[in-house]
Amino acid sequence: MEHEELIKKLSEAVAEGEEEEAAEYAEQAVAAEIAPMVLVKQAIQPAMDIVGKRFEDGDAYLPELILAGDAARAALDMIIPQISGEEEAAEQGTVVIGTLFGDNHDIGKNIVSAILAAHGFKVVDLGINVPPKEYVAAAEKENADIIAASTLITTSLPYQRQIAQLLKDMGKRDKYYFIVGGGPVTPEWAQEIGADGYGRDANDAAAVCRKLLEGDEKPPLQKAVVEGALKR
Amino acid sequence: MQNQPDIVEILRRVETGEYCTTKEWDVKRVPGAVRKMLKKYDLAKTYDAENPVNWDESLADTFYEAGFELALELGYFCEDTQRIVKVSEEELRNSLKFAPAELFVGEGKDGTLLKARTPADPYPMACASSLGITYSEDIYPILAEGIAREREVDLLEAGSLTTIFGNEVLSGTPWETLMGYEHGRMHREARRRAGRPGMGAIGCISAVTEYGQFGAYGTPGAFLPSDLALILFPSELKIDYRTLHKVVHTLNMGGIMKCDSPGMIGGMAGPPEGACLTSIACALLSFAILQNHCGGGEIYDVRYLSNVNREGLWALSVTGMALSRNTHTLVHQIANEVSGPGTDKLLYEIAAGVGAIAACGSSLTTGPRTAGGKLNDYMSPLECRFTAEISHAASGVEPKKMNDIVKELLPLYEDTLKDPDVGKSFQEVYDLKTLTPVAEWGEVYRRVKREVIEMGIPLDGF
Repeated sequence: MEHEELIKKLSEAVAEGEEEEAAEYAEQAVAAEIAPMVLVKQAIQPAMDIVGKRFEDGDAYLPELILAGDAARAALDMIIPQISGEEEAAEQGTVVIGTLFGDNHDIGKNIVSAILAAHGFKVVDLGINVPPKEYVAAAEKENADIIAASTLITTSLPYQRQIAQLLKDMGKRDKYYFIVGGGPVTPEWAQEIGADGYGRDANDAAAVCRKLLEGDEKPPLQKAVVEGALKR
Repeated sequence: MQNQPDIVEILRRVETGEYCTTKEWDVKRVPGAVRKMLKKYDLAKTYDAENPVNWDESLADTFYEAGFELALELGYFCEDTQRIVKVSEEELRNSLKFAPAELFVGEGKDGTLLKARTPADPYPMACASSLGITYSEDIYPILAEGIAREREVDLLEAGSLTTIFGNEVLSGTPWETLMGYEHGRMHREARRRAGRPGMGAIGCISAVTEYGQFGAYGTPGAFLPSDLALILFPSELKIDYRTLHKVVHTLNMGGIMKCDSPGMIGGMAGPPEGACLTSIACALLSFAILQNHCGGGEIYDVRYLSNVNREGLWALSVTGMALSRNTHTLVHQIANEVSGPGTDKLLYEIAAGVGAIAACGSSLTTGPRTAGGKLNDYMSPLECRFTAEISHAASGVEPKKMNDIVKELLPLYEDTLKDPDVGKSFQEVYDLKTLTPVAEWGEVYRRVKREVIEMGIPLDGF
């Protein structure tokens, strides 16, 4: 298959959420010695942009986002080992995400996970009902850049504060950006507990992650990065 | 004849049903089955942006048929055991046959009789106020009493607490058990102080896990078994041990319950049409699997964090009409507003959302959800009064007429749904000593009320 066609097929497989096909085309593309960053920039990222746009326009929904994210991950697993140190990083960074302890709501967190994946982040989803220490343990294990904690439940909010405190107590607060979101979470709360970022919805969360990783400031930030502030 | 399965049989099925992972359920089973039903019943792309309140009864009936089949195909998924809990067609039909068509909530002259309704039914849809907006601990008794003093409000839900005795409450810890009891106690006291000791209630909104519910429901001095136990699922068609603990506890107390979860537009069910189907299926199964007394039919649009947008209103109207025309269950639907106290947009959102729900046949609504439920103390009794007034007055309105009214209302607020004005806090829009709205907020209320009467919702005058 020609290089151009392989890139097109890979992109289509990712956009359609075909995980196995995406992995196969990525493997073929790597074997055909197409530059890894070409695959990322010309196949995977455009495909995820398309899916993200479809979601925003109401033409695609959460399952499509998740499946496309899985397909992109399968392809990246083939491509990333080929990237040399001099090349630009293929991924935006690694985000450990979960719904806080005491809260079993997963839809909002799932959408954020999928949107982050669509924006090229490696997402480690810890699921629901996650105690603070598990976020930190996962971040350590995955060598993450960002810890993201979501909740819809007001009585789970204090666990966000506990994560920030735990990181501080463990001497690891300068190692990870810590961002928060969810129904009752506000920019003021994020600032109060010493989080580094707040996003009102999934796209805001992606913008916050991007800003944090592209910025010059290391964690913890004096002023949280806020996207989607409430109008008052 | 196979009766509906009892709770013992359900608990067995929770442990022994078909194994399935959460991921497979979320990305394959639910979306796949929804797509199949939409295609089989030719329901895809039936959403009509130009007619946000559906008045086509045959369309609603087709949605009901498809939702019924979806319920049998999917069942509920239990996250804790990773098992699917299914019921047979006969079990489902019998569960619906024996589901309550009437339910008295509360006690004596202060109680409220919920009745199964049909679209445009003049029997008034009952209103429980408010939704679970968080209240500060010192504000809670005042605000809850203020809502209970609004005589149009039928049932008191009131907001949720985040601190108790000045301490932050953590979900799933003994703090929550303690908070559940204190919430229930303060709630009863608010009803008594308002002169409505037998007023029915829904509780306990502060109880996220079973611990809070154990502390609140059936405990001496807190919620009574004549109040509705509030049992919410993690998401539509998904239950967990937490849900089941609350169900079993309600049954142990000899109580009555309201179980439901919204079909999510933009979520696993996809488009508005898909959310209608999962909402209908979720509602039907609640009577067979959870011994539900009341509830089911909710919709939420995850893209707007609301449901008073066009898609949300349409899906609410279809779902409410489908369930109210084809069952005698007590349908419960919520309008999720996003604007806040003191704003006219909040009242327009209430008029559209609650008006559509009432016209299409629901038996009960809970609301409002001021400022999207996002901010502490952003709620006042006045918008609860307005919600209840609309709930009662819009009950006899034909869905077709309500569609015309909503078409007038939508342009007044829909452009700010994604970036709403959250308004002002209770302390800013109310005189806390007299429990009356400040002049400015009172004037906004009177103006919007006049406008809504002119549009055709027959609210009482001044």
